Amino acid sequence: MESGSVALPGASAGHEHGDHHGPPAANQSSRIDATTLGIYLFIISEVMLFGAFFTAYFFIRVVAAGDWPATGTELPVLIAGVNTLILVSSSVTMHWALEGAKRENRAALRAGLLTTLLLGTTFLAIQINEYVHIGFAPGDHAQGSIFYGLTGLHGAHVFIGLLLLLSATVRAFRGHFSAAAHRGVEIPGIYWHFVDLMWIVVYSTIYVL
Amino acid sequence: MLNPLRSEPEAFRFLIYVALGIVAIVAIVVLARAL
Repeated sequence: MESGSVALPGASAGHEHGDHHGPPAANQSSRIDATTLGIYLFIISEVMLFGAFFTAYFFIRVVAAGDWPATGTELPVLIAGVNTLILVSSSVTMHWALEGAKRENRAALRAGLLTTLLLGTTFLAIQINEYVHIGFAPGDHAQGSIFYGLTGLHGAHVFIGLLLLLSATVRAFRGHFSAAAHRGVEIPGIYWHFVDLMWIVVYSTIYVL
Repeated sequence: MLNPLRSEPEAFRFLIYVALGIVAIVAIVVLARAL
């Protein structure tokens, strides 16, 4: 980035941010913009939160020793596997939507966002249905607690992601986004891929391994 | 260097790479258990 130019006599005193005169704005980094820093800190804190839950999972599993999974805690691996494919597909449609935004293809943007929203809602509905039929409650035992804790934490993140997607979808249908201005789609897109990634790790750890 | 927090395309590529990595790890573990 270029350093600021020297102010000329008689120049307007109104120029501010782009000219780099004097010290940077107070309480803001001069190396990274606030939006980007906010997203970094948010995602990193979420990774730590999931890390704590995974730590609890592995602790409980090690303590349980050979009794894993305990009788009555068998998980529907196949259904959850299909649900995983649904969520991965939603990341593909999200990427398609953003590529559409960059190319001024509004039809692709709207279709992609709507499809992502529907796939994400389907994922959550299947997850809730699984809770209803799984046969054990969070308070029954430690295995139950950590199963509901980890999948429930992820489900809460999916719900938040759906709210972001709903907002982006409504705005897309109102014509808000363009090739030059689509940050309102990109940020939910990054968040959604993070949610998908966490589910792949959760599914592999809890259901498969 | 790939930074998944910088842009959506990078986040998507990161997702694909990690997903493939996890599939490979799970396959190795499942095979090791079977043997």
